[in-house]
Amino acid sequence: MTQPQWQTPRAAIIWMQLSVAASLALHAGHLPAWLIAAALTVMAWQICVYRGVIAHPSTWHKVLLTSACLGGVLVTYDSLIGLEPMVAILISGFALKLLEIHRRRDALLLIYLAYFVVVVQCLFTQGITTAALMVASVCVITTALIAVYQQGERAHGWLALRKSTLMLAQAVPLMLVLFIIIPRLGPLWVVPQQASAASIGVSDSMTPGDFTDLSATPKVAFRVSFDGDMPAQASLYWRGLVLSKFDGRTWSQLGPWGYRTGNLLQWYGDRAEPWDSLAERRGQPLEYTVTLEPSNGSWLFALATPRPASPGIALTRDFRLYTRSPVVTEKQYRAQSWLDYKIEPERLPPWRRSIELRLPEGFNPKTREVAARWREETPDPEALVQRLLDYYRRDFVYTLKPPLLGKHTVDEFLWQTRRGFCEFFAGSFVFFMRAAGVPARVVVGYQGGERHPEGDYMLVHQYDAHAWAEVWLAGRGWVRVDPTAAVAPARIESSFADYFSAEEGFLDGSPLALERFRHIGWINSLRLQLDELEYAWAKWVLGYDSNQMTLLSRILGRVDPMRMGMLLLFAGSLALLPVGWMLLRSRQRPVRDDIDRCFLEFCRRMARLGLGRRIGEGPRDYAARIANQKPELAPEIWALVNLYERQRYATAGENNLALRQALRRIPRR
Amino acid sequence: MSGVKKIADAVVHRIGQVLIGKEEPIRLALACLFARGHLLIEDLPGMGKTTLARALAGVLGLEYTRIQFTSDLLPADIVGVSVYDRNNGGFEFHPGPLFSQVVLADEINRTTPKTQSALLEAMAEGQVSVEGETRALPSPFFVIATQNPVSQSGTFPLPESQLDRFLMRISLGYPDPAAERELLAGVDPRVRLSRMKACMDQKLLCQIQQKVTEVQASDSVVDYLQELVQQTRSMPDIEHGISPRGSMALLQCARACALMDGRRYVIPEDIQTCFIPVCNHRLRGTASEQEVVSLLRQVLDTVDIL
Repeated sequence: MTQPQWQTPRAAIIWMQLSVAASLALHAGHLPAWLIAAALTVMAWQICVYRGVIAHPSTWHKVLLTSACLGGVLVTYDSLIGLEPMVAILISGFALKLLEIHRRRDALLLIYLAYFVVVVQCLFTQGITTAALMVASVCVITTALIAVYQQGERAHGWLALRKSTLMLAQAVPLMLVLFIIIPRLGPLWVVPQQASAASIGVSDSMTPGDFTDLSATPKVAFRVSFDGDMPAQASLYWRGLVLSKFDGRTWSQLGPWGYRTGNLLQWYGDRAEPWDSLAERRGQPLEYTVTLEPSNGSWLFALATPRPASPGIALTRDFRLYTRSPVVTEKQYRAQSWLDYKIEPERLPPWRRSIELRLPEGFNPKTREVAARWREETPDPEALVQRLLDYYRRDFVYTLKPPLLGKHTVDEFLWQTRRGFCEFFAGSFVFFMRAAGVPARVVVGYQGGERHPEGDYMLVHQYDAHAWAEVWLAGRGWVRVDPTAAVAPARIESSFADYFSAEEGFLDGSPLALERFRHIGWINSLRLQLDELEYAWAKWVLGYDSNQMTLLSRILGRVDPMRMGMLLLFAGSLALLPVGWMLLRSRQRPVRDDIDRCFLEFCRRMARLGLGRRIGEGPRDYAARIANQKPELAPEIWALVNLYERQRYATAGENNLALRQALRRIPRR
Repeated sequence: MSGVKKIADAVVHRIGQVLIGKEEPIRLALACLFARGHLLIEDLPGMGKTTLARALAGVLGLEYTRIQFTSDLLPADIVGVSVYDRNNGGFEFHPGPLFSQVVLADEINRTTPKTQSALLEAMAEGQVSVEGETRALPSPFFVIATQNPVSQSGTFPLPESQLDRFLMRISLGYPDPAAERELLAGVDPRVRLSRMKACMDQKLLCQIQQKVTEVQASDSVVDYLQELVQQTRSMPDIEHGISPRGSMALLQCARACALMDGRRYVIPEDIQTCFIPVCNHRLRGTASEQEVVSLLRQVLDTVDIL
């Protein structure tokens, strides 16, 4: 090699290793275990190479490692295309780069890549904990960057850390300004979604057992802030999806072909579709803001019957809320809801009626038979609903551990096991009603929520997921019927967690979840405080773009590029002001003692008369100049300056009472 | 202390009769001598350099010689030579003009560096080595040198080491119109110079020189001086700032100024008075002499005294 080989500073090696470790830790949640193990091996390998225990890996080694990683990714994800495999490839390349740091250029490449790897993490989660970890990682990476440039005596690890922390701290004001001002542009290209994009929370189909799985997760599904008072717990039915199709085991959505005419979506701000008048809304609407956690679905949750109040949100033909792209990061939207409503009260067209009555052939013969018989005995649909609910009420058990069901799920549940969770009740109820000739459908979403005692908002957890039914009654339209409420009214009136907190199976998936310990006072309040923090983060930081325009127009009056630029300049200089002040401050010598303080006060008083002291002007010269201009004050000035001179320059430690007295004789203005 | 002030005022007044309207350079020159330093006076021919030097020597009442430096002057011409004495049958040293209490080295930059450097040991050590023998010079020993600006033809610039031996470099400048008119109307300065009487003696001078070292310099004054000197070390177009010897010289001059003003303590104004004369010949770089002076003024204007 003609060039002298670059020796990586020892501190830089340590900080680079830490950078790689921090970046890996951020991604640990979604990386396969073998990749993390491989990266750790590479890190150990690099240390050995640095200490001279092993030689640098040969080209063959590197080729082998790279292809092994590619193969591993291919095996793990079945594809190299997609967000997760791409990130896995990026990270394996990033970690392998550790093995070939020969020049400063290589170290810089690794460090710059580390910044990118940290940012890529935003595609997965954006919570406040992640953000804090990301800031810490950026600090470590910046330290590595500084350490790479430190040489010889100055190459001390802690010094670099102090410097990088200081630099990042100095960048904070500017970061805040940019955060407030820079407009949030929509994505320039579509980021591929996570391959494992199985929806989180309520999904678009319902099979017995789905909801019991949800009851095991304490994660938050969404949070709601009401503009006014919160409505009663029992009326909080957050509608998400309407399921009208049944194949004998799974309930699913109808699909767009179920409706024949007109647009299926009515976007916020657009003209009302003709079908909008099918819903009668009475009274004052509730207004609220929902902050939805990532669900990977495009359905949103709202109380019946809603109307969107944020751009990009649509009302569907079955009166739910919908957004075009799946919710992969936290999403904030506003909605209005009329709790007093009627949907399609007058008539159901025959084609709709046949859809809402359709049942697959060859399933649940006993239920069909009983339903037909009951219908003859009780021709009035409303009475029939009551009769079925009474039947549930008699000897059904609402439980988290329902027995498994065979082919005829409804038959087995209704007439044999009689133990089930909400989806068993809702599914069997709708099946029975349809068999009896009453149009009915399943609705899934969430029920209830936990009021945050201080945060003034409501938390809806995944375990609040719920399924209920809607039946169509002539003159009343679609009426909500919750068979679960008949069996376990306390579940609906209080909250799910209170109802089940003692039962086995609740939160099985997360043994350490803070929700498990809600009966311990301080843990519960800690949990609620943490959640408040998380919500504030989601609302003010992640959801800031929805408030940005309002905030900016309040500051600027009118938002245009000129004013934005002015604000940016103004705020930027404001942010840099403390830095400048600190720089200036460090040049000035601190005021020594009371003697100097007296003299400075004298100078200030004289400055008010327009006779300020020039920098570098000695007291005697100054006195001569101002005494010349203010002859009436000359004796006082000379008395003070002579005293000052003698005390300052002749004797040390003499008391300065005389000086104070002389100062008193100088007029303040 | 007021005694020193009275004497100083008297001396300045007396010289002022010969060198009309030049009170400030006279005071500085006197301060330089009180601070036991050698003085360099630089100006164009005919501005009164020699007059000032002669007047100083005369007023102080000291033994005085004058050496006119020319391009063919040799070291032996100023130091002295040993001459064979036929009566004794041996060599006898004949001291040169350097063996005097006040040496007026006129137009010092007209001579070659060789002769200039012969002055070096004399000024620094107060002794000369001739023919292997070290001979002490009389005490007190002052060198008052005059020189023409280096840009003049037929001059050899003084080496830096030599310049550093001078405590101060002052220049006189043109007299103001009133002073010049007075000069033209009055008695010829040469006549006045010949009539001048001493108003001090050697003993008094030694006492004053001793008192200068006793003048108090408080911490804040020392801090101020140090800050000034520090600033000269980071000036543009200056290769090297003031050396520690330079800052000691500055403090010594400031003490002398304070004493001449009748004070036992130094105030920042003393330092400001001496700053430019003490520093301007010690700074070398790409800047011209005028630029050096204006840079030093800037330093005075930017460093605060508090």
